[in-house]
Amino acid sequence: MVVDLVLGMAGSGGDGVVSAGESLLAAVSSHGYHAMMTKSFGPQIRGGESSCRVRVGTVPVHNPGGALDAAVALNWEDFLKFGAELELAPTTVLIHEAKAGPPPEALVRRGAMPTEVVAVPITELTNQSAGTEKAKTSVVLGLLCGWFGVPEDGVRRGLEKKFAKKGEGLLETNERALKAGIEHALANPLRSTKRLAPPPTHSPKLLCDGNDLCATAALFAGCKFFGGYPITPSTEVMQTLAKEIWKYGGTVLQAEDEIAGIGAALGASFAGLKSMTATSGPGMALKTEIMGLASIAELPLVILDVQRGGPATGLPTKSEQADLFQAAFSAHGDVLRPVLAPISVGDTFRVTVEAFNLAEHYQTPVIILSDQEVAQRKETVEPIDTSRFTIEERLAPSASDLVDYRRFRHTESGVSPISHPGLAGGSYLGAGIEHNEKGDPTASGAEHARMNEKRFKKLEPLQHRRDLFDVLGPSDAPFALISWGSSAGVAREAFELARAKGLAVKLLIPRLLYPIAVPVYREFLASVEAGLVVELSHQGQLHKILRMQLDLPAGLRSFCHSGATPFRPDQVLAELEALAAVGVK
Amino acid sequence: MDTATTTCGATATPKDYSSALKPIWCPGCGDYGVLQALYRALAAIGRPPHEIAFISGIGCSSRIPGYTTAYGFNSVHGRALPIAQGVKLANPDLQVIVAGGDGDGFSIGGGHVAHAVRRNLDLTYLVMDNQVYGLTKGQLSPTSPKGLATVTSPLGSLEEPINPLLYTLAYGAGFVAQGTPAEMPGLTALIEQAIRYPGFAFVNIQSPCVTFGQEEQQMRAHKAHLRPLASLGHDPSDQLRALDLARSYGKELHTGVLYRNPNPPPTYDALVRERQRALAPEAKDRSRLLDVFLQK
Ligand SMILES: Cc1ncc(C[n+]2csc(CCOP(=O)(O)OP(=O)(O)O)c2C)c(N)n1
Ligand code: SF4
Ligand SMILES: [Mg+2]
Repeated sequence: MVVDLVLGMAGSGGDGVVSAGESLLAAVSSHGYHAMMTKSFGPQIRGGESSCRVRVGTVPVHNPGGALDAAVALNWEDFLKFGAELELAPTTVLIHEAKAGPPPEALVRRGAMPTEVVAVPITELTNQSAGTEKAKTSVVLGLLCGWFGVPEDGVRRGLEKKFAKKGEGLLETNERALKAGIEHALANPLRSTKRLAPPPTHSPKLLCDGNDLCATAALFAGCKFFGGYPITPSTEVMQTLAKEIWKYGGTVLQAEDEIAGIGAALGASFAGLKSMTATSGPGMALKTEIMGLASIAELPLVILDVQRGGPATGLPTKSEQADLFQAAFSAHGDVLRPVLAPISVGDTFRVTVEAFNLAEHYQTPVIILSDQEVAQRKETVEPIDTSRFTIEERLAPSASDLVDYRRFRHTESGVSPISHPGLAGGSYLGAGIEHNEKGDPTASGAEHARMNEKRFKKLEPLQHRRDLFDVLGPSDAPFALISWGSSAGVAREAFELARAKGLAVKLLIPRLLYPIAVPVYREFLASVEAGLVVELSHQGQLHKILRMQLDLPAGLRSFCHSGATPFRPDQVLAELEALAAVGVK
Repeated sequence: MDTATTTCGATATPKDYSSALKPIWCPGCGDYGVLQALYRALAAIGRPPHEIAFISGIGCSSRIPGYTTAYGFNSVHGRALPIAQGVKLANPDLQVIVAGGDGDGFSIGGGHVAHAVRRNLDLTYLVMDNQVYGLTKGQLSPTSPKGLATVTSPLGSLEEPINPLLYTLAYGAGFVAQGTPAEMPGLTALIEQAIRYPGFAFVNIQSPCVTFGQEEQQMRAHKAHLRPLASLGHDPSDQLRALDLARSYGKELHTGVLYRNPNPPPTYDALVRERQRALAPEAKDRSRLLDVFLQK
């Protein structure tokens, strides 16, 4: 029995490999397993090769995992295209279509060949049982049930759901194919025994991706306006809101470009609504000027950047964490704006609500720095108790505030009551130009300095938001891991593995990336002599920012590589162990 | 309009719309006249100032919201139209006016005009067209005549100007007019009609830049060459004729309404409201939003 199983498969576009992965995911999640699925496609818009990997566990899974426990190749040509996504190890059970022949030389040359390679006449089994080749992936699902203990009734229910509307015939065909797969597996037992242990509890779970949860959290937080322009991998947020937001009295505007998208969103915020825009790196670049306007006009606004490989078009469908500099620093003038990053699908809900709360509370643009993996991988999420959340609203002017109203009044906190068009007595000039307390334009250096101070002062409390950080491990540990975004889940597992091996290591996962919460880092780093900042970018951007703003322990270094392929927990563990082996001086 | 909106009605005076801020325009700048005409038009309509959102970009002309008692937003160069659309969609009860210069609207912001027109929100767009960049001190503008020598085209410009009238008409705007502060009653009436038009309304205002403008773009020349469309017997519902007349932008100073759609279609903001009303019954309780993802 195993508590953790990583399955991967590849085929041509028509094989329905991804759809099979989804059925698998639905089956295990309905049984109370924790699971996640990532998918990868060739460059073609439709058709072409596709692959998916599903990781199932009896305990929470934090990342897509390392080498596969089981791999399914429907043909070698397509399988070979996913070397990085479908990594093999000697322990992998490699299942392939019999008629494709034995593993080709190209695969063998890569090394780490599985010792157990199983040929299955998948097409033949499908034709015999279903009378059509179309149900191939149902045979595959059957094999996975028979060999690895994937819950059969879950898969069956999944098939029912999927084919219910497509007519009786299709459902029956696929059920027969499923049965044929199961029977084949039972009749031909594997050498290795990797059967999934039963789930700990049978608690229902949510199954969704990060973009789903971002859009839903926006509705939950009371977002009433979305302005944006389609761009991978953020578009699903706009697509979901375009279906739903009207029900809640809101609007989605598909703008002519990213500038107009954020412009309209800012206009809606000026008019008093909670508002957001979403994009990826190239769109962020276009939005930069208006983000500056939001900062000086002190208007709440949530900006989602789902990072992909860059610069320019870069790797539009792959993950990277290389927009941190852009999020934190791309501004003209002295600007401080909060940047938050979700670390998992489930976390996206909380982080999005937090972004709206910060935006409204501090009257500032807030960036959610998600990444392709968190945004688009499908994952089981424990049901979220939404009654725990508080929803913040912007500070409205009182009756006395409206007597000789000063929109940008200097206050203790730096936050001033904000009016909106339609409110009698609250008229003011919102402006990109520097202004006095009333909002009237000024060119005074002294006034400018005071306003800059106000705009920075109001964000000072963020320094102490410990709740926006996960800190794990013994407080006196000399070794440390720091990681953010989708890499944080990998670091988390590496941390657990290292702890299990007795290493004195601790882990810091910031959700608040910027401004740097200096006291939180200082406290965490006090005991640290060596460690790794793990992030998916060529430069290691968080590490560089930390170096800029803190005195880091000499042994705390960057562990980073360019995007597209996520870190594997064993890589991070090995690096950490190497660091520890050098020893603490 | 279906929701209660108050009006100052007969009691409103131009003064009610004039703020304490003193304009910093050059003495004699055409924008002063535009501001006066706007005060009068607003008074004639009578919406209380706090129900007006007045959005502009950057330029001398874009300073104008600050001189009114409306909620103003003097935003960034070229982006007034998108911002204004967000304001209007957020609160369709507001009277939303957008203003800026020829550079702001037809150069840096030029890409937004087509989309503002095709969406047809109930907005009024006033462009103070002085055929030059005033604020940045006299550079070539997209409406500068071909051959014009400026600080950035010292040897004379090589490109043709944009034609704002033809441009907006061809995009399908339901209301297109041109005026000049050299003829105040006419300009006031045009602004008023534009605001009252239920849809996207564009007024190109020939507003002289006394500091960097050409002789033939000044008030005196305007007065001498004024060709009111009414005097030509133009019927503003005649879209083809309007297109024909618009072709003489830059050669003739036509003033008045070039085109007014006699059957204005429903505006985008009205359609949005309709959709929100229709779908409101499907709203789920906030605590149930995540249920769609629950696996049973
Ligand atoms: C992004 C950006 N680019 C350039 C400028 C500089 N700029 C400010 S106003 C302006 C042109 C103004 O001309 P116009 O829009 O015709 O207005 P006018 O001053 O003539 O009324 C320019 C180039 C700016 N403020 N922002
Ligand atoms: S520079 Fe020209 S447009 Fe600007 S205020 Fe002076 S006269 Fe008016
Ligand atoms: Mg100009």
